[in-house]
Amino acid sequence: MRWRARAPLRHHRLQTILTVAAIATAVSLPVVLLSVGGGVFQHELAQLQNAGYEIVVSASGVHAVDQSHSLAASIDRVGSVTAASPVLSFALDAFVGPGGGAQPVLVEGVIPQAFEATEGPTERSVLPSPLPLGDPTDLVHYRGGSYRGVASWDVMVSTPFMQSSGSGTGTSLILSPDSNRSGGVAFNVTGVFGVPPTTLGPTAAYAMVVPLSDLQVLAGLGAARTSGDPPLDAADTIEVALDGAAAADPSQIDRAASEIQGLVPFYGVTSLTQEAQHLQEANSVLTGFYLALSSVALAVGLIFLALVLVRRVESERKSIGIQRAMGVPGRFIASGIVRTGLLLSGGGAVVGVGAGIILVRLLQVYGSPEVQAAANLAVFDPRTLILLGAGVVGLSSLASALASRTALRLSIPEALR
Amino acid sequence: MNPAKAPRIELRGVAKTFGGGRPGEVRALGGIDLAIAPGEFVSVEGPSGCGKTTLLNLLGLIDVPTRGELTWDGRPIGNRSERERTRLRLSGVGFIFQRFYLLSTLTARENVELPMRAARVPSADRRARADALLASVGLTPRAEAYPHQLSGGEEQRVAVARALANRPGILLADEPTGELDSANTEAILDLLVRVRGETGATLLVVTHNPKVAQRADRHLQMRDGRVVADDGGR
Ligand SMILES: Nc1ncnc2c1ncn2[C@@H]1O[C@H](COP(=O)(O)OP(=O)(O)OP(=O)(O)O)[C@@H](O)[C@H]1O
Ligand SMILES: [Mg+2]
Repeated sequence: MRWRARAPLRHHRLQTILTVAAIATAVSLPVVLLSVGGGVFQHELAQLQNAGYEIVVSASGVHAVDQSHSLAASIDRVGSVTAASPVLSFALDAFVGPGGGAQPVLVEGVIPQAFEATEGPTERSVLPSPLPLGDPTDLVHYRGGSYRGVASWDVMVSTPFMQSSGSGTGTSLILSPDSNRSGGVAFNVTGVFGVPPTTLGPTAAYAMVVPLSDLQVLAGLGAARTSGDPPLDAADTIEVALDGAAAADPSQIDRAASEIQGLVPFYGVTSLTQEAQHLQEANSVLTGFYLALSSVALAVGLIFLALVLVRRVESERKSIGIQRAMGVPGRFIASGIVRTGLLLSGGGAVVGVGAGIILVRLLQVYGSPEVQAAANLAVFDPRTLILLGAGVVGLSSLASALASRTALRLSIPEALR
Repeated sequence: MNPAKAPRIELRGVAKTFGGGRPGEVRALGGIDLAIAPGEFVSVEGPSGCGKTTLLNLLGLIDVPTRGELTWDGRPIGNRSERERTRLRLSGVGFIFQRFYLLSTLTARENVELPMRAARVPSADRRARADALLASVGLTPRAEAYPHQLSGGEEQRVAVARALANRPGILLADEPTGELDSANTEAILDLLVRVRGETGATLLVVTHNPKVAQRADRHLQMRDGRVVADDGGR
C-alpha cells in the first residue's frame, strides 16, 4: 500500500519539499530552545552544586553585611560549619583602546554606604568622602595616564588580562594596588560575567567576586590589623561551607541554615538547595514559555500541513471521485491521506530535529560570544527529541483528519463532471 | 426478457432533481420506468443535457434518486446508505468513463489492481488477474506504463480492464468511445461485446455514436429527463 501515499509526493515535489521545510522550521525552534535552555539550566545547577559552599548570608539592597569578620568567626563555631568567609563583589571596568591595545582598568568598591557605616579611622583617612563612583574611564578622572580623584584602594587590572579580553577564562589576572603596581596578586580567571568590549562599546564591565581578605591585601588594608585599626569589614555576603557529610544532606543544611539565621536575624540566610529549587522553578517557568512559543510555531506548521493536504484533496477531486465511483471505501482514501500526512510530518520532524542540532552547532561557531557560550551548553536529550517528533506526527493526524473529511464529503457525480 | 425472472435492474418512477427547493433547481430526470434483463446490452442516446449521465449514476449507485425506486434483482437498493452502496459498487458495478479517468500516479497494472485492493483480494491473485486482464485487452507490454505514457485508445482499454477487475455483473459506460478514432472505437466495442459474451454481464452504454448503438440489443432514446423511445430489444 506504500505507493499510494508516496506516489503523490513524487508528483508534487516542490510542494512536498516546501511542506517538509515548513514543518522542519516549526520543529527546529523548540529543538534549539529546549536544548540550549535545558543546557544552560543544567550548567547553572551544576555550578550551584559545585560552588564549594552551601549557605549564603547576605544583606538586602545596597546594605552590606557589617562587621563581617566577627560574624564569620561566630558562624564558624556552628556545629557542621567548616569555613565562613566574607566576600565582597565589585565592578570592574575595562577600556580597550583603538587597535585593541588594552589600557589599565579600574576596580572600585560598590557599597559606599556600608563603608561609611563601618569606616574606622584608617579607612576614613584612605577613602575620599563621598566615594567617587563615576565611570573610571570618564576623562574627568583620567589625566595623564592615571586616574585622579579616585579612592586609593582602587586596584588596577594589569594588561595580560585585557589582552585576552572577551572571555578571559583560562588566563590569569593580576590585580595590583594603585600605590604599588608591581606588587600584584595573580588570580586564575575561572569565568567572567558582564559585558565584554566591542567596537561600539570599548568599555567592558565585569563583576568580580574576590574574598574580602584578598581585597584587603590588595588595597594595602590588610596591614591595618597590625596597627590596631579596624580592618575593611563590610562584605556583601558571607559564604558558609559545611563539612562533607552535612553538605550532602539537605536536612542538615537546613538545620545549619536556621542556626545561622538565629545568629544573624537581620540578614538573609539562603541555602543553595533552596537556590537550586528556585532555579528549578524559574527553569520550569522558562520551559513553559519555550513550549508556548514552540506550540505557536508548531501550530503554524500544522496549519500549513492541513492547508497542503486539503489543497491536495481538492486538486485530486477527480481521482478521488473515480476511486469512490469504483467502490473504493472511504477509509481507503482517508488512510492514503493520513499516510501522506504522516510522511510529510515525519519527514519534517526528522529534518527539523537535524536542522535544530545543526543550528545549535552553527551558533557554537558563529554566534556572538554570549550566544556561543550558551550554545556550547546545549544538551540534546533523546527523550525530549523523540517526544517532540512523536507529538508533531501525532498532531499531524488532525490535519489529515481535516483533509480526509473534505475528501469523504466530496460528491462523486460532481467530482467526475 | 424472461418475465418469470426479476429484472437485473429496475427503475420505478425514478426522478432526480438537483438543487431541489432552491430557485434554479434542475429536474434532470422525471419519472423513469425501466426494466433491464440480465445480460442485456442497452444503448442510451439523446441530446446533451437530457439526463443520460444522471441515469447512469443512479443505476450505478453513485447517486441517489430524489424520488422512485431502484432495484437490483428485485432488491430495493437505490436509497441504501453510502457505505452499503460503496460496497455494492465495488463488487457489482464496473464504470467506464468518456475520459478514461485512470489515476495518473499509478501504472496501468496498478490502476487495474486498485478495485481488487479495495476488495482485499490477496496480492498474488490480484497481480495474476491484473496481468490476465491487461493481456485480454492486448496491453501486456504496457503494464508498467503510466497513463501519460499511453495513447487514448490504450488508456481506455486499461479503463475497461479496470472496470472488469472485480467481475461486476453490471457494466456502465458513459460515452466510452467519445474521444477515440474509429479504429479504437471498434476495438473497445469488440472488447465490451466479448466481455459480455464471456461473463454474461449486463451492459449499458451511453453514446452519441450510431455505430456503437448498432451493436446493442436494445436502444433507448432520452429527451428532457425522460425515456422517449425504447425498442424493447427488438
Ligand atoms: N450536480 C448537478 N447540479 C445541477 N445540475 C446538474 C447536476 N448534474 C447534472 N445537472 C443537470 O442535469 C441535466 C442532466 O445532466 P446530464 O449530465 O445527465 O446530461 P447528459 O445527458 O449526460 O449530457 P451530455 O450528453 O452533455 O453528457 C443537465 O441539465 C445538467 O445541467
Ligand atoms: Mg453525460
